[in-house]
Amino acid sequence: MDVKFPVDELILIAPEIILCGFGLLLLLIEVFLKTKSKSFLGILTLVSAGSALVFVLKLSSFSTDLFFGLYSLDSLGSLTKGLILVMLILVVIMSLRYVEREEVISGEYYPLLLFSTLGMMIMVSSKNLLTIFVGLELMSLSIYILVGLFRDNLKAAEASLKYFLLGAFASAFLVYGIALLYGSTGSLDIKGYLEVIAKGDTSTVLIIGVALIAVGFAFKIALVPFHMWTPDVYEGAPTSITAFMAAGVKSAAFVTFLRVFYTAFLPLIKQWGDILWLLAVITMSYANLTALVQQNIKRMLAYSSIAHAGYILVAFVTGEKILSSSIIYYLVAYTFMNVGAFSCVILMGRKGEENLDIDSYAGLSARHPFVAFCLTIFLLSLTGVPPLAGFMAKFYVFSTAIKAGYVWLAIIGVLNSVVAAYYYLRVIMYMYFRDPVKEIGRIDLSPSYILVSLICIFFLIYTGILPRELMLLAEGAVSVFF
Amino acid sequence: MVPIVFKWIVFLVASLLAIFSAIMMVTRRNPVHSALWLVVTFISLAVLYFLLNATFIAISQIIVYAGAIMMLFLFVIMLIHLEKGPEELKVLGASKIFAIVLTVLLFVEIAVGVYYYRVTTFKPGPMPLGDAKTVGFLLYTNYLFPFEIASILLLVGIVGAVMLAKRRKE
Amino acid sequence: MSEYIWLIPCFPAVGFLINGLLGKKLPKAVVSWVGCLSVFFSFVCSAVLFFELLRLAPEARIIEKDVFDWIVSGEFVTRVGFRIDPLSIVMCLVVSGVGFLIHVYSVGYMHDDPGYSRYFTYLNLFVFMMLILVTANNLLLMFVGWEGVGLCSYLLIGFWFEKDSASNAGKKAFIVNRIGDYGFLVGIFLLFVSLGTKGVWTLNFSELERNANLLSESLTALITLLFFIGATGKSAQIPLYVWLPDAMEGPTPVSALIHAATMVTAGVYMIARLNFLYSMAPEIMFIVALVGVLTAMFAASIGFAQYDIKRVLAYSTISQLGYMFVGVGVGAYAAGIFHLMTHAFFKALLFLGAGSVMHALAGELDMRKMGGLKKYLPTTHWTFLVACLAIAGIPGLSGFFSKDEILWKAFLFPHAGVLIYIIGLVTAGMTAFYMFRLLFNTFYGKERLDEEVKHHVHESPKVMTIPLIILAILSIVGGYVGIPHALGGGAHFEKFLEPVFRGVSQKADYHHSLVVEIGLMVLSVIVALIGIYVAYVYFLKKPDLSEKFVKKHEKLYKTVHNKYFVDEIYGFLFVDNLLRVGRFLKNVIDEAIIDGIVNGLGYFMRGLGGILRFLQSGYVQAYAFSMIVGAIVVVGYLLVKVIP
Repeated sequence: MDVKFPVDELILIAPEIILCGFGLLLLLIEVFLKTKSKSFLGILTLVSAGSALVFVLKLSSFSTDLFFGLYSLDSLGSLTKGLILVMLILVVIMSLRYVEREEVISGEYYPLLLFSTLGMMIMVSSKNLLTIFVGLELMSLSIYILVGLFRDNLKAAEASLKYFLLGAFASAFLVYGIALLYGSTGSLDIKGYLEVIAKGDTSTVLIIGVALIAVGFAFKIALVPFHMWTPDVYEGAPTSITAFMAAGVKSAAFVTFLRVFYTAFLPLIKQWGDILWLLAVITMSYANLTALVQQNIKRMLAYSSIAHAGYILVAFVTGEKILSSSIIYYLVAYTFMNVGAFSCVILMGRKGEENLDIDSYAGLSARHPFVAFCLTIFLLSLTGVPPLAGFMAKFYVFSTAIKAGYVWLAIIGVLNSVVAAYYYLRVIMYMYFRDPVKEIGRIDLSPSYILVSLICIFFLIYTGILPRELMLLAEGAVSVFF
Repeated sequence: MVPIVFKWIVFLVASLLAIFSAIMMVTRRNPVHSALWLVVTFISLAVLYFLLNATFIAISQIIVYAGAIMMLFLFVIMLIHLEKGPEELKVLGASKIFAIVLTVLLFVEIAVGVYYYRVTTFKPGPMPLGDAKTVGFLLYTNYLFPFEIASILLLVGIVGAVMLAKRRKE
Repeated sequence: MSEYIWLIPCFPAVGFLINGLLGKKLPKAVVSWVGCLSVFFSFVCSAVLFFELLRLAPEARIIEKDVFDWIVSGEFVTRVGFRIDPLSIVMCLVVSGVGFLIHVYSVGYMHDDPGYSRYFTYLNLFVFMMLILVTANNLLLMFVGWEGVGLCSYLLIGFWFEKDSASNAGKKAFIVNRIGDYGFLVGIFLLFVSLGTKGVWTLNFSELERNANLLSESLTALITLLFFIGATGKSAQIPLYVWLPDAMEGPTPVSALIHAATMVTAGVYMIARLNFLYSMAPEIMFIVALVGVLTAMFAASIGFAQYDIKRVLAYSTISQLGYMFVGVGVGAYAAGIFHLMTHAFFKALLFLGAGSVMHALAGELDMRKMGGLKKYLPTTHWTFLVACLAIAGIPGLSGFFSKDEILWKAFLFPHAGVLIYIIGLVTAGMTAFYMFRLLFNTFYGKERLDEEVKHHVHESPKVMTIPLIILAILSIVGGYVGIPHALGGGAHFEKFLEPVFRGVSQKADYHHSLVVEIGLMVLSVIVALIGIYVAYVYFLKKPDLSEKFVKKHEKLYKTVHNKYFVDEIYGFLFVDNLLRVGRFLKNVIDEAIIDGIVNGLGYFMRGLGGILRFLQSGYVQAYAFSMIVGAIVVVGYLLVKVIP
């Protein structure tokens, strides 16, 4: 047996290598840095993310399988990698100030961000469940630690532990599912499943494997009833990490979920379509109803993120390959509005006083019109008000459902987004029409947050008014399913 | 070769032992006892792996889990004096019953699935799959990429452990 | 150059952005340079394009350029795209050319206004929107421009919003326009759907033209009628003309640009643009012509009894717009557009002249307090005189050619053409009368100025008079591009526009009726001269005659002076009743029923949310339970599905 490792394919995973190398480098040089100059690490992280993004763009025209089919390069992966890297850049820009302000343990903060991004990238561009699982674990493990990186904060430690325990539990489901699939088909490659299923070999063990894998992914994208960790973890984590989780983990997990199910298990849609239909309805309704009574804005946004997963699932259950581009569009739009919203949440806080209750936002428009304006844009986009990207995203998703004949699902979705408008608009109402309830003191208007907010606003308006380009990209990405 | 009946007997003994010791492990009050029962479970599982010709995994199971990891467990338990175990108010609370019912339900479901399982066209690959040579060869050729990623995963794990320890110290 | 059509609206947009974002920080000089130059560049681009068009063969003079896809939904694609053809290039030249002059004039006129940069911001935005309107290659983009100019009009009428009358006038204009826009929008929908059901999902003009024959006759009539309702709103025709006189509350250059030269002609442009639809609905065309001619006469008669010089001009604008509608209504699209162009010159000139008078008299508008201004304001006087002669239709000036072209085409119109002609002719006399009444009262006769004002009377600065002079020249020579065949001219204007109106224009049979045409011309000149003479007698020679007349027919005079009480009638018929309905909707339907339901639902939902919150206990065990329940359901459901 003479198998040679294909060294020449390494150039095609340059973005991954860059992130990995910089992560290791940062861990090393952190030791030699003085406490004051830790923001240097942030700059290096930006450099690595930026150069990785450049390589992703350069490589985006390639489409090939790498390393004996264990990894691959295609349009879906490239688009998602690009999205994740842009999201990373935004999060790092806001972290530059936030980490300093909240005295987050920064030495490990940035390397772990890089490793977690690496995990996401591996996850979204692999067609082999083994690699997917390793990538997912890399992402998750890094985030478990990131969530607890607040110094002297019991809530963060609790959130970290909860997330870790439940995440391990979910991983057990996932890996058991993979094992059952391997046992019943002898393959770890998702195309291998398709071959087996196409032959009509749908055994009970295979279907249990599919179900357990669905459970594993449902945990990561926080579908009800696998969502319970979300509010606690989102609330306890440093807000920049919350943004990172809400945008990055969700996008990466959803894209992988999409890839696995749309490549391999689409013939079984009759089986899993109904149950995901039910999950979508429960997720949307439960999350929106619970969000109505939240007083803490991070918890509110946590439930909102669960609800949005429900909306995306609406398009997911249709099983329409072409129309699944709406899912990609939604994820991109969602990433920007979420990162933007969390950047505003960060803006409101100070060291030791995060001002997360909704009362802090009362009368904000008079004191800080800019912050109020930015947050209003993000909340309106989350609500789905034209001409922002959030509207187009909802429009595409629901029209996908209607075109595929899932009219009731679309109706439930629209009703839910009406309910959701209540809690988003309530914050806006507080900001503009209420008198200040309490003194929140000087807020931290650092350029790093403002930059992030402005980028997100620009993007939301741009893709909201001209959705065409992004939609074409998304359509290009989902062409891998054909 | 080994007679098939002997295989069956070993399988039955090892698997029953694994189940029994797992239950014992969960129900013991004394953490040291629990840990020791867990060692028994691991060893029984190793036997099952041997039966499946997965020699490499069987040996790693014994060396890594039953050996190294359990040693650390015991070491930590004794170091921080957990021998007594936390006091519990109820032996069998409602939530425990609920948990048992749910777990059994899930088990039953999977069991039903396995019961209805019919091997169709898929044929198992050539034996032996699981000896050290084959595994090693595959790990360093075909599966080198995920293997390397797993190394980063381990690194992150170490960083996490260090972080937790550091927090304690401060 | 044709690749860069988008540059034409782009320049004012850039000016708008610069002035809008930085205007408050920039010195006035920069603001004015940005404001004027941006429009000037548009004009240069338009001119370059115009000469390029001239070089092309007449059939090739329609250039379309799509810039980007705007709305994509299924098979329907709307692109943001521009279309340059003889019609739109004429509009571009008028809008940017006259617009530029008015911008320059404004530099002097608005010099001391605290809202200087805001003014130029709005003005640039207006030019941008107007250029979008005239260069759009589809109805939807045109509608964007249509709404945009409406918005700017609203903003500029209410420019001095501290004054109640100004902000009210702005609101009135906006609301009345909204009624018209509603008709326009419904028309667009109807057209879109009825063509769509035939398999053509488009709003692009050339595609519409190609597929117009798919429409049934009755549908075409309905659609064109709806469009015409839109036009009556924007172009101030009966019954929606009431906003325009009030719009004079805005700064005078605004009145000149928006409410005389450009925006109000949008309705005429729209009908000319959709000529292929209108020519399929002859009965609607008749309505257009009839409404036009009635408006012309009606507004002219109101002009008799106004003392506010800007209001006289406003009614005159309404009246002249009526002529344009007669033009497009009788199928003489080129004549209508021709009059649109010449009117833009002389009416802008009149307004700017009025502005110059106001400038000199510290904002005085009442012509009873003027008189004899000729010697104080020489330049303003002679340019104003030129404009009056032009609008009265004195031969040799632009108004003569365009107005007579319309009247002649109306005369040839088979449906009651002679009637329309006669009303139009009478109106021409009336026009001459009230314009010269204005002229004589303002510039000639006894000085009736307030003493205090008299000391400060001065001619306007050069930056204001030079635009006046240029416009005066244009008012004279502007007509020479379209001298009819009957007078030995080449009717170049009509020929130039022919590619757009190909196959739909009325075929003038001039060989046969040469004598008649010249005879009619002479007739209209005589009528105009009579009008001028009467004005001369009543207001200059024997001013007491007019006072006697007023006393004798006091009731009639009051009625006319109060604009036939139309505002009051509208107020009684619509506004009050609407308010009543509104109050009912608010008090009963909205507050009691809708709010009740919504609030009730809200409380219910919040209550439900409160219950669900209990599930979120914070214990990891509970969370794991929930997960395992979910897993059991998922696995169980899938198993049930596949177990044989």
